Amino acid sequence: MRLAILGGLLVALIAPWFVKSDSTLAIAIYGFMAASLAVSFNLIFGFSGQLSMFHAASFGVSAYVVTILVTSYGWNFWLAIPCALALVVVLSLIVGTICFRFKLKEFYFAVVTLAFSEVLRLITLNWNSVTNGSLGITVVEKPALWTPWGTLTFSSGVSWYYVTLALLVVVFVICQRVLGSWIGQCLAAIRLNDQLGETLGIDVFKYKLLSFAIGSALAGLVGAFYGFYAGFVEPHYLSITLGLDIVAMVLLGGINSLIGPVIGALLLTALPHMIELSAELRIALYGAILIFVILVMPKGIMGLLSSRKNAA
Amino acid sequence: MLLNIKNLTKRFGGLTAVSNVSFGIERGEIIGIFGPNGSGKTTTLSLIAGILKPTSGEIVWKGEVINALTPFEVAQQGLVKTFQNPQLFPELTVAEHMRIACHLHVKRALGLGRLKTLLGKGATGDLEKTLSKKIDQMLELCRLYKHRNDEAGALSYGGEKMLGVAMGMVCDPELLLLDEPASGLGHDEITNLDAVLRDLKTHGVTLCIIDHKVGFLGRLADRSIALHHGAVIASGTTAEVLANDAVVTAYLGKKHA
Repeated sequence: MRLAILGGLLVALIAPWFVKSDSTLAIAIYGFMAASLAVSFNLIFGFSGQLSMFHAASFGVSAYVVTILVTSYGWNFWLAIPCALALVVVLSLIVGTICFRFKLKEFYFAVVTLAFSEVLRLITLNWNSVTNGSLGITVVEKPALWTPWGTLTFSSGVSWYYVTLALLVVVFVICQRVLGSWIGQCLAAIRLNDQLGETLGIDVFKYKLLSFAIGSALAGLVGAFYGFYAGFVEPHYLSITLGLDIVAMVLLGGINSLIGPVIGALLLTALPHMIELSAELRIALYGAILIFVILVMPKGIMGLLSSRKNAA
Repeated sequence: MLLNIKNLTKRFGGLTAVSNVSFGIERGEIIGIFGPNGSGKTTTLSLIAGILKPTSGEIVWKGEVINALTPFEVAQQGLVKTFQNPQLFPELTVAEHMRIACHLHVKRALGLGRLKTLLGKGATGDLEKTLSKKIDQMLELCRLYKHRNDEAGALSYGGEKMLGVAMGMVCDPELLLLDEPASGLGHDEITNLDAVLRDLKTHGVTLCIIDHKVGFLGRLADRSIALHHGAVIASGTTAEVLANDAVVTAYLGKKHA
């Protein structure tokens, strides 16, 4: 497993030498960002058992905050990121505290987090003086990184390819570290039987909140970069459509694995482009895949692979 | 006194499940609480463990009132409860159950040093060795060692209940509350449980066991309390309680007493 992941990473690292098509590169870049969102979402959903509909909001809020700080106030991109993440963490702590104090689970949790997410979307839609309403904000600034060998501006496709790949690696490694630690054990206990976990001394509220905050912060980290690559931010970033896309990616890849959501996200990002469908049909395809996955392989691609392996 | 229950009362609407119950538990003894079905035994235990909140009365643990604590805080204080119906983490093996139950050990041993382990630092190798040794010992004691790599759901009913005891014990509780550990067990399993609990006693563990099987508790408990309709009807040495007229009446009815 470890070898397969490292092999995949190696292929991804050398791919730009062989792939010269800009559109293929763009699909890979969007795929990496979607994968980062899916991996961080699965920390909350697959590993802690909380169906959060707040992920798109964390992503969108951070995208807006970083964009506004840079374009309207002239902040440095790298300085704006921690501010955006701090805001996302505070928001997730507020939403999480309300939900977990009232012991909301499963669909109740999903509906309430969706409501909070919608509130934030409506704010971005209607707060015209700051967010420019439904038109969104165009981003022309390109972030730059100072290295000992000179300034590296993220303008070319290849530079964004490596930035987003690094982003995915960072998000993946953070989730892996968290899940491999005592926190991961507490999260598993909470997901499988929170009442038993609590009588064994596990602070269920604290660990639910912790996984929600870490996952949301990582979504915020992706959002910070996304607007600068796409060249604009708009209220649609906070929409339920994105939230459901992430759910579809995780379900397709496999909810009980770290790498599954990466595979699901890359497939679902690339697939519509390969068969060149219109936007409406694309959504229909998402729906069809979701239904297919739930019916045929409830544990996703990784679940299917591991059961094949066990059977062999 | 390790645990002191003072005038504990719990009402559910118009029903008084536990009525003005008072008793104490000293360190190192085995206390039995028995009574017929619906006499308030499990409610009393749930009140002590923080799962239910009392309507009135006090639960005093080592001199401090712990009424308001949540279940995990009660567990952190050293008061651990097992469940009447075995509670498991589906999909996980017996050893993995035990590893999760070691949560409090890791917390006590490392404290905030746990954060270092996220960076791949901190001396956790020794701790892991200590814990796995402890887990093996406890599984050995509870006769579950040969099942350690089996999925817990595949254990027999008695095995599942024993795993509950083992998980409770590996937390190193000062007082272990056992909710009907013998109910639903076969003859051999009860003999096994009896031996395990006696072993625990020799290790100096304080136990509070509830059961409606008088015979099982009669062999094991140093002292007993009998509950009926939520109230204490007798207390004293187990032999005294079993001979008490009110207890006999509660179990058999007036006619046969």
